[in-house]
Amino acid sequence: MGGPSGTCVPWREFERRIAFEDVPSAGAFMVFSRGRDMFEVARNFAHFFAHESCGFCTPCRVGTSLLANTMDKLAAGKGSAYDMQRMQTLMRVLLSMSHCGLGHTAAKPVVQTMAAFPDAYERRLKRLDFEPAFDLDAALATARHITGRDDDWAHIVSEEA
Amino acid sequence: MSGRTFTLDGQPVPFTEGETVMEAALAAGVYIPHLCYRPGYGHHGSCKVCTVAIDGHNAASCTTRAREGMAVETATPELADMRRALVEMLFVEGNHTCPACEKSGECELQAVAYHIGMAAPRFDFFFPARDLDASHPDVILDRNRCILCELCVRASRDVDGKNVFAIGGRGIRARLIVNAASGRLGDTDLAKDDAAVRVCPVGAILRKGDAYTKPVGQRTFDLRPIAAVAIEEARRERERRRG
Repeated sequence: MGGPSGTCVPWREFERRIAFEDVPSAGAFMVFSRGRDMFEVARNFAHFFAHESCGFCTPCRVGTSLLANTMDKLAAGKGSAYDMQRMQTLMRVLLSMSHCGLGHTAAKPVVQTMAAFPDAYERRLKRLDFEPAFDLDAALATARHITGRDDDWAHIVSEEA
Repeated sequence: MSGRTFTLDGQPVPFTEGETVMEAALAAGVYIPHLCYRPGYGHHGSCKVCTVAIDGHNAASCTTRAREGMAVETATPELADMRRALVEMLFVEGNHTCPACEKSGECELQAVAYHIGMAAPRFDFFFPARDLDASHPDVILDRNRCILCELCVRASRDVDGKNVFAIGGRGIRARLIVNAASGRLGDTDLAKDDAAVRVCPVGAILRKGDAYTKPVGQRTFDLRPIAAVAIEEARRERERRRG
């Protein structure tokens, strides 16, 4: 209700009312069918806010991009419970420290879909504790290019592979 | 003097009409961590590190005027954590290399990070590709270490009367830009003794030839913590204004 920074009302709560006292709206609402992946909806909104941030204040300038990057990390199947926890931290920083309403509400679609559709997030988690964003093998690409090597010994294979 | 006061963490703090919470706090000897604020320069309020809770609502103390009877909190665990998060964000946003940086020990970002007890950032580094401008004979501009506080923008415009710097771009792509047709520092009338050069709190605007002249152990924040330096700086500015 009320655009990307509005309130997410899952089907379980469809008896709620569009009213100032319950779910307020500026007049806009979007409907997503059950066929939609709500994680992808939230990821799209996270990128929207990162793009819309003017860059004046630290929390919104950096926070919205960190949020979008973390959603991308999850989408790539490299997320962990630590990333979920960190997105909650980002939401607190955005809500309490931002200069204007854009930053205050930028994390709402992520946090609300995380609460309403936990499955959409959890099935993307690679591990339940921690997964680094840093890819050691990818970081060696420049070195491989310079040395002209691409043999097995020039690669670092992750443990579980 | 009307004897007007507000409370800061329960302690009464006197203020004069028009003063900000930050100015009154510093005058009372209370340090609120900050980066984009500097006594004597226009109020800005972009870094948000100085955010305090005023009657339960968060606001930047450097841009909020003190009012009679307001209850301000700064030393709460929640605000401490949020401030650490903001400073961590500034570290991951740019390319900050404290051990190799010639501003180490003179850098306010580093000193504030120590003051608020930041260890390692909890966020992923951006490792952005940012330009370095060495076209000026006496000054180097390294955008890798810029925190977008706009102190140089204000100093060049308001103190030097040259308007050399500005911010270009939006969001995470915002960058410090140079007001010259070529975009190069060498094509401006910036001089090495300008306030815009001296005011940089980090290692983004550096004077050439000055690097490493002061040994580690004798630099500003090696000798005194940033809280004492900031309170002293605010006192000097008040005296300067009184004439």
